Amino acid sequence: MSHTVDIPPELKSSLRKFRFAKRSQGHAALVVKIDRNELIMKEEEQYDNISIEELAEELPENSPRYVVLSYELKHSDGRTSFPLVLVNWAPTTCEIKMMTLHASALIEFQNTADVSKVIEVRDGPDGLTKETIDAKLLS
Amino acid sequence: MSAPEVYSIAQAPITCHTFNADRSQLALSLNDNNINIYTKQGKEWQVTETLSEHDKAITSVDWAPRTNCIVTASQDRNAYVWSQSLDPNTGRMVWKPTLVLLRINRAATFVRWSPNEDKFAVASGARTIAICSFDPENNWWVARHLKKPIRSTVLSVDWHPNNVLLAAGSADMKARVFSAYIKDVDKRPAPTVWGEKLPFNTVCGEYASLTGGWVHAVGFSPSGDTLAFASHDSSITIVYPGGPMVYTIRLQSLPHVTLTWTAEDTLVAAGHDCQPIVYSGGPGGWSLAGTLDDSATKTGATRVGTVGRLNTAAFNAFRNADTRGHTSETVTDTELHTIHQNTITSVRPHEVGAGGSVARVSTSGVDGKLVIWNVSAVSVGGLAGRLGAMRM
Repeated sequence: MSHTVDIPPELKSSLRKFRFAKRSQGHAALVVKIDRNELIMKEEEQYDNISIEELAEELPENSPRYVVLSYELKHSDGRTSFPLVLVNWAPTTCEIKMMTLHASALIEFQNTADVSKVIEVRDGPDGLTKETIDAKLLS
Repeated sequence: MSAPEVYSIAQAPITCHTFNADRSQLALSLNDNNINIYTKQGKEWQVTETLSEHDKAITSVDWAPRTNCIVTASQDRNAYVWSQSLDPNTGRMVWKPTLVLLRINRAATFVRWSPNEDKFAVASGARTIAICSFDPENNWWVARHLKKPIRSTVLSVDWHPNNVLLAAGSADMKARVFSAYIKDVDKRPAPTVWGEKLPFNTVCGEYASLTGGWVHAVGFSPSGDTLAFASHDSSITIVYPGGPMVYTIRLQSLPHVTLTWTAEDTLVAAGHDCQPIVYSGGPGGWSLAGTLDDSATKTGATRVGTVGRLNTAAFNAFRNADTRGHTSETVTDTELHTIHQNTITSVRPHEVGAGGSVARVSTSGVDGKLVIWNVSAVSVGGLAGRLGAMRM
């Protein structure tokens, strides 16, 4: 497995802090972008108690991102859990080199963030909705 | 300045042509993979550069006057944006191409820059229109697709002056007006007669001509409040969305394949008739005004109202043989009486006059000729007899 993009230690500690943060309600998201000139990943933005629709609006339409999402999942039996999900935000309008770089570094990022579930969102804001995430997590 | 300027560029068909901002240079394609750039030297156009990058025939070209960028669309499913930069080795200005990935799986048929030159629209055989805008963060052109409800090849597009609305004529026999609003490129447009609050891919109107037929050409009037389209059933339709009022002018001759507005009440259309025809009117009604090609009406023994092609000596010879029993007239003259000897494929505004309306238009055709016409030189001549037979 060749190594293309570096993950700096600040990002790793940021991910750890995000993972263990106490959550009471709402979804929280950590957005990571790849700096193609320096070939390292950078934390772009953190959102707390944001709706999925708002998150879809905030994410860039023509650039790929990794989104570590703490999703407020309501189970059919009344429980509420906060699973950690990795959203691979990769709209088809993105530039090809950026897409390739993003795809090559996904596995390594997933291992570093230690997230088991990955959701692919390829068609932009229309593909990131509460319904699609619920469907993926509850199936 | 009334006589048209005729240039015989080549013996090959001119697929598409476009001028730069000051009309000193001309870019056109001669039915092949390259664009030739011509510069006016004296009274003739000389080739100064050739742009080669496409793998298949180029279908359309457009030159942005302010940014000085050329966009080309080709059957190879790609579009290139060409911009001039200084070559460090030779010190001359050279054209450098940038590939635009349109993500279409059929040929591109038509391309036009938007009025602000920050976007361009590419019509394609993939039943989509690709709206391309520049993303400075990734340094590349992003293409978004207008898909619904187009059911066949899009043959031509035209931008509204507000940089957001786009008219499209398609082979599914409909002319439509779409909203091509791109989030970070356009500011929210003011409401127009076509609608307000228009997200990307909203259909503001869908029109068909009376008997249907491929819509070859569409055009917004200079204000953008009126839409005209030419369809293959030999008709021109003008739409006022306010009413809505729709006027259809049926031609007695062959269909038009290209049109351009010269003023709010006049438009010039051309096509298989081999001559540019002028139409004029207003919200009360539209009618045929005449032809710009007075050589078609000057020839004495022509039948009133007949088309350029049907006026040849060859046709007359057969007609004489049939009706009068004359035979053995050797046909020596196979030339048409119009200036263009074959279909006109493109008409574009060339010069804007004092009052803000277009004073001259340029046409190019399958005969390899480029002609610049004076719009006010309208001859009624041979078409007069047919005015009464028009439908409104």
